[in-house]
Amino acid sequence: MSTITMTPGRLLRWKPQVDGRGLLTTTVKLVALPAAGILVFLLLWSAGARNIDTSLGQFPGPLAVGEQFGALYTEHQRSREKEVAFYERQRERNARRVAEDPGYEPKIRDYTGKETFIDQIGTSLVTVMSGFLLAAMIAIPLGIAIGLSPGLNAACNPIIQVFKPVSPLAWLPLVTMVVSALYATPDPVIAKSFINSMITVTLCCLWPMVINTAVGVASIDRDLVNVSRVLRLPPLQHVRRIVLPASVPMIFTGMRLSLGVAWMVLIAAEMLAQNPGLGKFVWDEFQNGSSDSLARIMAAVIVIGFIGFLLDRSMLQLQRFFSWDKGTATH
Amino acid sequence: MKWANTIRAAVATLAFATGLGATTAQAAKLGYPEKEELTFGFIKLTDMAPIAIAYEKGFFEDEGLYVTIEAQANWKVLLDGVIDGRLDGAHMLAGQPIAATMGFGTQADIITPFSMDLNGNGITVSNEIWSQMKPNIARREDGLPEHPIKADALKPVVEKYRAAGKPFNMGMVFPVSTHNYELRYWLAAGGIHPGYYAPHKGDISGQIDAEALLSVTPPPQMPATLEAGTIYGYCVGEPWNQQAVFKDIGVPVVTDYEIWKNNPEKVFGITKGFAEKYPNTTVRITRALIRAAMWLDDNNNANRPEAVKILSQSHYVGADYDVIANSMTGTFEYEKGDKRAVPDFNVFFRYNATYPYYSDAIWYMTQMRRWGQIPEDRSDDWYKELAAKVYRPDIYEAAARSLIEEGLASADQFPDFATEDGFRDPQTHFIDGIVYNGHQPNAYIDKFPIGLKSGEKL
Amino acid sequence: MSVLLDISQVGMEFPTNDGPFTALRDVNLKIRKGEFVSLIGHSGCGKSTVLNIVAGLHRATSGGVILDGREVTDPGPERAVVFQNHSLLPWLTAYENVELAVRQVFGKTRGKAEQREWIEHNLKLVHMEHAMQKRPGEISGGMKQRVGIARALAMQPKVLLMDEPFGALDALTRAHMQDSLMEIQAELNNTVIMITHDVDEAVLLSDRIVMMTNGPAATIGEVLEVDLERPRHRLELAGDPRYNRLRARVLKFLHERHGGSPRNDSTSKTSTTRAAADEPAVHEAEGVESAA
Repeated sequence: MSTITMTPGRLLRWKPQVDGRGLLTTTVKLVALPAAGILVFLLLWSAGARNIDTSLGQFPGPLAVGEQFGALYTEHQRSREKEVAFYERQRERNARRVAEDPGYEPKIRDYTGKETFIDQIGTSLVTVMSGFLLAAMIAIPLGIAIGLSPGLNAACNPIIQVFKPVSPLAWLPLVTMVVSALYATPDPVIAKSFINSMITVTLCCLWPMVINTAVGVASIDRDLVNVSRVLRLPPLQHVRRIVLPASVPMIFTGMRLSLGVAWMVLIAAEMLAQNPGLGKFVWDEFQNGSSDSLARIMAAVIVIGFIGFLLDRSMLQLQRFFSWDKGTATH
Repeated sequence: MKWANTIRAAVATLAFATGLGATTAQAAKLGYPEKEELTFGFIKLTDMAPIAIAYEKGFFEDEGLYVTIEAQANWKVLLDGVIDGRLDGAHMLAGQPIAATMGFGTQADIITPFSMDLNGNGITVSNEIWSQMKPNIARREDGLPEHPIKADALKPVVEKYRAAGKPFNMGMVFPVSTHNYELRYWLAAGGIHPGYYAPHKGDISGQIDAEALLSVTPPPQMPATLEAGTIYGYCVGEPWNQQAVFKDIGVPVVTDYEIWKNNPEKVFGITKGFAEKYPNTTVRITRALIRAAMWLDDNNNANRPEAVKILSQSHYVGADYDVIANSMTGTFEYEKGDKRAVPDFNVFFRYNATYPYYSDAIWYMTQMRRWGQIPEDRSDDWYKELAAKVYRPDIYEAAARSLIEEGLASADQFPDFATEDGFRDPQTHFIDGIVYNGHQPNAYIDKFPIGLKSGEKL
Repeated sequence: MSVLLDISQVGMEFPTNDGPFTALRDVNLKIRKGEFVSLIGHSGCGKSTVLNIVAGLHRATSGGVILDGREVTDPGPERAVVFQNHSLLPWLTAYENVELAVRQVFGKTRGKAEQREWIEHNLKLVHMEHAMQKRPGEISGGMKQRVGIARALAMQPKVLLMDEPFGALDALTRAHMQDSLMEIQAELNNTVIMITHDVDEAVLLSDRIVMMTNGPAATIGEVLEVDLERPRHRLELAGDPRYNRLRARVLKFLHERHGGSPRNDSTSKTSTTRAAADEPAVHEAEGVESAA
């Protein structure tokens, strides 16, 4: 990452310096320069926006986008109020029905209103994490197996090499059709659209994780493997005590890499497949073509970027936490 | 007649299943819905209004239905959603249930108990085309163009482009969409050949012999595609014609009201399986939609501004209030500033708009035959049987009768169910003056100068 | 004393693109229980290969190794290895590194408390009791190597194999480590094979020094008996003429081999024989048998 990134981690690591001049320099570096950068960006943005006229009106500047953040939040609150009213009406209706039809077992149904922007953020996050974890559950054992066995590596390598460069979006139609065919319950507990997005994310996360894990496992220090051999560690112990910890840095590198890509792909997949989430929000707004649409899309863009950044940082913190080799966990 | 038997059988089945004496005036009390949680799909167009209104005004909830409404990316996705059960029902193009039942495109038994609206579409051309058409159009005394504008004014432009070797591309929303047939009707009435389909030869591009090349673009993307110059014009529902005026990228030249006065437009489609499995739910959905349609046309469109406000929310149509209001409140803006009164541009309930007439279905089939989507000759009875399979006035009648009984509607708001045979009287208000009689589809097809006639096959 | 480890007719070939490459041939060595043997030779002469074959990490292509009456086929804790670069698991503390070995070897035979005591005992033996909870990243190279030795000793091996254990350390630390090792050796009387580059180290620590000819087809050139009495003190030995003679003997061997590295078997053979004839204190490789 470039040096301009201002990270909470750096702030925490900041230690006050006794030397007054040093303190000043540090403050300038940590606070003033990034603030100046952001300010210049905002100025350029608002100046640029004023000069771009689209068929949906002027390109939104920071103020318009800020307003839409407010509007989106108000909408969210209003939706929550509607939700409360919805449940209230439902309770009354159920009570009436029970009075008329004593055999009826009242059931509280979920609110049928539209997801708000904030709900969509939640949906996207849940989707990306589920897909990511599913991928990890497949990729890490597979990567370990491939890394341990040159034979398996030779067998899997061509497949991995061919599928790795495929954009998961190309899989999307196939995933959709296969999920439709295989997941045919009349009253699904988990929405098909969620499964489609999740599997797309999984496909995207799979390869970097498999490759990094396999490389991590294959490149374990020969001596460590020899230690295990001398100790006659049984295969499972060997994996648990030697292989897994030794390849943790590489595994995490793969995980971080794939989570970053997954987040980008998810947004695109949601746009393409109209699956709930931030991508769908962007697409819907684009389709609406209202005079607020661009500002709302811009608001989503900022949120998407911010979440992507936070995801990356959290992975980094996790990596720091789990990895013995602190040297690899840098930005 | 065979098709009449089919209807009777269907009615009997439904009556048995629901415990409703649909054919008698005395209807038993309508049962509770078998399925209460439903998901309906729609495309961002103002004519999805009955679904949004039924939701927002609580008509669905009054029926004990908890409905989630989801915008769909395009008509194909929407249809697939209904077929694979992701959606329980949807705002559909009238041609979709027919084509699906017939097996053109995806085969599936889709039925419709409810016609959603009349009119509501327009044909828009880019500013560049408009400026070339303008000299060919007669002017009124006030200098504004005389309406309706026929495709005759476009013909020289198309010829010029063709002579220059430039394909004249136009957009419509789906191969079996109203818009495809309306655009074709308008072009052909002006002597421009819109091209044939030949599904039996694997050609579903619909561009055989075409002078104007028609291709599919999802409605909300029409203005952007026009702006990009990929197409020179399009036929689409609102608000996407008015959007072109607002964005100053195109000019609507004709509304479908002018091509065929009070033409049937969208329908509400569900699978036949759904209707059989959940008969009470089906009738209840229809009831809620009828009430929504009544609300939309109540008091001479008095509720329309409120409806527009609802539709302009981003999870429904989402376009600006002004854009939607332009057509929904009884006006239509052609060239910028040329705003004319078209009180019936969107009809949701008047003129029996919601009743699923067999003759409406048959008109779509005649157009499918005319342009080769139905590649072979079919008997008049075939048309009628297929119409009876897809259009289900029996369900509509059950819903309407129960509404009348509960005092939520009055009998004079509906066709006289005792005598209604499902065929409108021969219709005369077409832009080319050709009369349509639903009882004689083959004879009707033979009247068109451009298009396949009975006995012809590509 | 009886022969504990018998290396006989060991040869090693590696397949290469240009046909098989003979790394070792005809290596014969018998080691008695409690004996400290150094392998010395130039880099690439196959010392490590010999050690790895004894460890069971490599399999000889001809000949074999018998330890305590049983043929060596695979690695095992009775032949603990101290690797050149310590090979501690970096994610475990010093204690845990030793624990891993102890649990594996004595997990079934000793109780938890007994194991803990044994781990601590071994760490104390290498003077690492103060840093038991430190990870390899937090301690110096010498300390790491101490932990590595503690881990190997904790396995109570029949033979302790050390692959240039002090090669990566600075001179001062190395001297300390050598002294420590002698101390431990005096106490435990282990059987040890150690690879080294360092002539002083070899003479100081060993009972016998096995000098290897240069590869390819390396083999044992000479075996030198170090008959200096123990305990040995480096400072006292520095002035001892016996020490210096032994030292010179090894240096001479290394120098000769380095100068005219013999490529073919016959010259190698002659030079070995000649060296053996020169100096009565040096046995010819095969001659060990008679000494044993």
